[in-house]
Amino acid sequence: MTPSPAQGPRFSPLSVVALVGWVGLLVALSVWMGQQAYHWLPLQASTAAPLVDGLFSFETAVGTFVFGGVISVMVWVVLMHRAEKYDETDAEPIEGNTKLEVIWTAIPFVLVMAIAVYAIRVNTSLGVLGPMEHIHQDNHVEEVGGYPGDRLPAENIEVVARQWSWEFRYPAANVSSTELHLAVDQPVTFRLVSEDVLHGFFVPAFRLKQDVVPGRAINFNLTPTREGRYRLRDSQFSGTWFAANQADVVVESGDAHTAWLSQAEKLPLQSGISDAVDEYAARAKRANPGWATVPPAPPPQVNVPGSNNLPHDA
Amino acid sequence: MTTSYPTPSEPREHSAEHENHNLTGFIIFLCSESVIFLAFFSGYALLKTSALNWLPAGVDGLEWQMPLINSVVLVSSSGTIYLAERAKARGSIWGFRGFWLLTMALGSYFLYGQAVEWSGLAFGFTSGTFGGTFYLLTGFHGLHVATGVGLMTLMLIKSFIPGNYEGGEQGVEATSLFWHFVDVIWIILYLLIYVWQRS
Amino acid sequence: MTLATFPASEPKPSWTRYFSFNTDAKVIGIQYIVLAFFFFLIGGLLAMIIRGELITPEADLVDRTVYNGIYTMHGTIMLFLFIFPVLNGLNNLLIPTMIGAPDMAFPRLNAVAFWLVPIFGIVLIASFFVPGGPAYSGWWSYPPVSVQNPLGHLVNGQGMWLTAVALSGVSSIMGAVNFVTTIIRMRAPGMTWFRMPVFCWTALAAQSLQLIGLPALTGGAVMLLFDLVAGTTFYDPSGGGDPVLYQHFFWFYSHPAVYVIILPVFGIFSELFPVYARKPLFGYVYVSLASFIIVGLGLIVWVHHFFTSGVPQWMRNLFMVNTMLISVPTGVKVFAWLGTLWRGKIRLTTPMLFCLGGLFNFVFAGITGVMLATVPVDIHVSNTYFVVGHFHYVIYGAAVMGIFAAIYHWFPKFIGRMPYEGLGKLHFLLTFIGANINFLPMHPLGLMGMPRRVSSYDPEFAFWNVIASLGAFLLGVSIIPFLLNMISSWVRGPKATHNPWNAIGLEWLLPSPPAEDNFGEHVPVVISRPYGYGLGQPLVEHQAEIEQVLTAAELQEASR
Repeated sequence: MTPSPAQGPRFSPLSVVALVGWVGLLVALSVWMGQQAYHWLPLQASTAAPLVDGLFSFETAVGTFVFGGVISVMVWVVLMHRAEKYDETDAEPIEGNTKLEVIWTAIPFVLVMAIAVYAIRVNTSLGVLGPMEHIHQDNHVEEVGGYPGDRLPAENIEVVARQWSWEFRYPAANVSSTELHLAVDQPVTFRLVSEDVLHGFFVPAFRLKQDVVPGRAINFNLTPTREGRYRLRDSQFSGTWFAANQADVVVESGDAHTAWLSQAEKLPLQSGISDAVDEYAARAKRANPGWATVPPAPPPQVNVPGSNNLPHDA
Repeated sequence: MTTSYPTPSEPREHSAEHENHNLTGFIIFLCSESVIFLAFFSGYALLKTSALNWLPAGVDGLEWQMPLINSVVLVSSSGTIYLAERAKARGSIWGFRGFWLLTMALGSYFLYGQAVEWSGLAFGFTSGTFGGTFYLLTGFHGLHVATGVGLMTLMLIKSFIPGNYEGGEQGVEATSLFWHFVDVIWIILYLLIYVWQRS
Repeated sequence: MTLATFPASEPKPSWTRYFSFNTDAKVIGIQYIVLAFFFFLIGGLLAMIIRGELITPEADLVDRTVYNGIYTMHGTIMLFLFIFPVLNGLNNLLIPTMIGAPDMAFPRLNAVAFWLVPIFGIVLIASFFVPGGPAYSGWWSYPPVSVQNPLGHLVNGQGMWLTAVALSGVSSIMGAVNFVTTIIRMRAPGMTWFRMPVFCWTALAAQSLQLIGLPALTGGAVMLLFDLVAGTTFYDPSGGGDPVLYQHFFWFYSHPAVYVIILPVFGIFSELFPVYARKPLFGYVYVSLASFIIVGLGLIVWVHHFFTSGVPQWMRNLFMVNTMLISVPTGVKVFAWLGTLWRGKIRLTTPMLFCLGGLFNFVFAGITGVMLATVPVDIHVSNTYFVVGHFHYVIYGAAVMGIFAAIYHWFPKFIGRMPYEGLGKLHFLLTFIGANINFLPMHPLGLMGMPRRVSSYDPEFAFWNVIASLGAFLLGVSIIPFLLNMISSWVRGPKATHNPWNAIGLEWLLPSPPAEDNFGEHVPVVISRPYGYGLGQPLVEHQAEIEQVLTAAELQEASR
């Protein structure tokens, strides 16, 4: 514990230039990373997607700058401030600097609050969550009505989540299916209900996710913006075949959508898609099938089963 | 290996400080215990306010008169335990024991009253969230009352051991604190369950 | 000045004391740490099976029910049987010695708290062998799925899980009461609050969170247990219950729980950086106080774990803002460590490497944490591998590395021998590389839309999963040099002096290992602030004499 001589700060012109240059490099890297962030996300297929991606890109850029800054300091210290081989003495006893403390408290505070404000704005624009009401599980009629609000007339689709299948009902058209069909650029209001446990309605291409809670009907709004075939995945652990509880979402032109609905109405009801039911049957034939499981609900009886193993865009 | 240290100060007094620690530790524990009641209270409030049909079929509400008598009994017992401690501080060990025993009797009556109330109810633990929360809250509280009576029994027995209070009276203080805690919880409980009634 | 004799030559204590009900905090500390690593190996084995399954898209390694039980128990074991016990072990070793106390405030309670751990550990491991298998709904055990109880038995995996977690809660509360009382009441003369080491500050903060948060989990779990076995409907909508209520109870504790995990690691970094940079901790007072700001904020952010569960918009915005604020006191600590390192005299010993690597990973995790705090991004990535990547960066990348740093740093003090540097550095390298390869790919996977807890996935996720699995296998291998080092150093490592790192602290004024009652009756009086590197002042009165006595004893020992 030998005392060492104190030294003042040294700011030569060269070090200032080098520092400014390095910061500039970090800024450039951060901007670049912000752009790269878009590539890490799936393609954008809803009005929500550009908003979410923009926020994430901004956060990536800021995060790169902060991470880069901290790591630069650590690397510099490890390279340039190493103890000499047999030097057992102490370094200069700098115990703190109140001005620095204030700066590195105030700046992060302002920064995170700015990000929070941006995020609240995006959250408001998303405006996806409609009113929610409590329902009795065996009586799907709601006690309090829910409204999509001041929007274009929306298509209403009821989504029934089960262990382990997704059923989509179009009450206006008297159609049901296990493949979700949506018209491009047409706002849609989902009414999410579960017949058993928690599920998660998650379409990565739309950037939207909503848990499906038994005992409630949750209104959920979105507007798809790109035609294609996308994946809907169960995102809230729901039991044995949770991972297999996937469906496809087909976004098509308004005409194609109307045509699909009118054709579908004429089709007789048949068993829809439920990979869990098939796997359960196969499993029963095995000698040592594993631990206990709740049996899957029977596949929903629908007009259009559709498919869930065609190539999907996202 | 012998190691010698220079004497810096007087060696520490262990016994007195140890018992101080006991009370400190117990108070910290009580603060933590209050959170579990807080959790049950907030769960109860949330379930009650969001329920479509709060009362089970055939139940019109809760009778509040008998429980009010029980409450008066329990709150009085806080008074008697305080008197017990006062007697002890004055040096009257039999005065202490008398009020202490009275407190135990009042507490036991409370438990008896609770059991009588439970046996006369038209709903059970599984009668929806109404029944579940009722028995959970009153049952968990009752468990604490029973524990308090048990601790008091222990303290009463120990009061007969000669030299028991030489190191301090943390046992009596802690038990008394616990008893007041149980009483305060009951007051909140009574307001939440019997006073705030809804259809 | 008279010389008093320290407790005379003690017979070398038997190794069997580690298997007995022993009330010495230093014995209990070792018991906690060794037992924790035993469970770490089991939890790690489960991780290898998980990554083995996930190296291919199909569910082809084990049955889906088995996978679900395995990932559930992996999380449960790692949290309740590894991380919390190992941190309690460090608390037991460090708190009394750092503050100059002979032991904890309640030594018997301390031992009871420890012995509950193997008991509930056995309950949890036994749950693998009951009909129906172990709990399978994740370490969260969300109802209704967690109470479906397919076989309908009274004794089932989920019930055993709840029992084990309840016992863990009792053990933790006992420990918390003990640690908090000890820190508040048993500090050495002269050790005011602002002369107390940061590790004790962070321990106090973390244990306060245990006291406030655990009862909420207990309450929620009791209600879940009743739903499981007694037919109540607290979380069952058919009886008026609400599944989301459980989520509130669960996360009201489990968010602070993550600060219970990371705060001691912050304490470890704050203790070690000054030693290996030979510089005082920068802004010691601010670092200490920031711990309590984190406690306060940590109690009001829990909803950010279930933004998508249907909580109203105002609640999402409120909890988002609260969560963002936590980065401010955390940042104060990170910048303080940088300030400590800056213009220090850096020594890249094994403990220092683990601290630097841990800090690197922590900053990365902090950034993804801020991303997760913002609701719109969270809606997309919650319940995906993005979250899994985030928390493994914090827990493995930062907390576990910090714990390794602490073990290498204080091993000489409490075991009395030096660990091997070469093996230590190898352990660090494999850990740092393995952890990054394992957990970095999880972020693109989550962004692309791969949900967590899946036993199978769409083929487009295969590439990053293969890389993650390879990283995991490397992490598995990284444990080997650690175990070899610990065992052989304990048995035949070179004897340690009382202060091999030339560090400043009361624990370094004790022999290695210390006597059973540490300083006993002769506690030195603390006369200066901690971390006085470069200031040339003694920490305690008569420090030179104390050092002289210790050194003389060591020389005598060495010459035998």
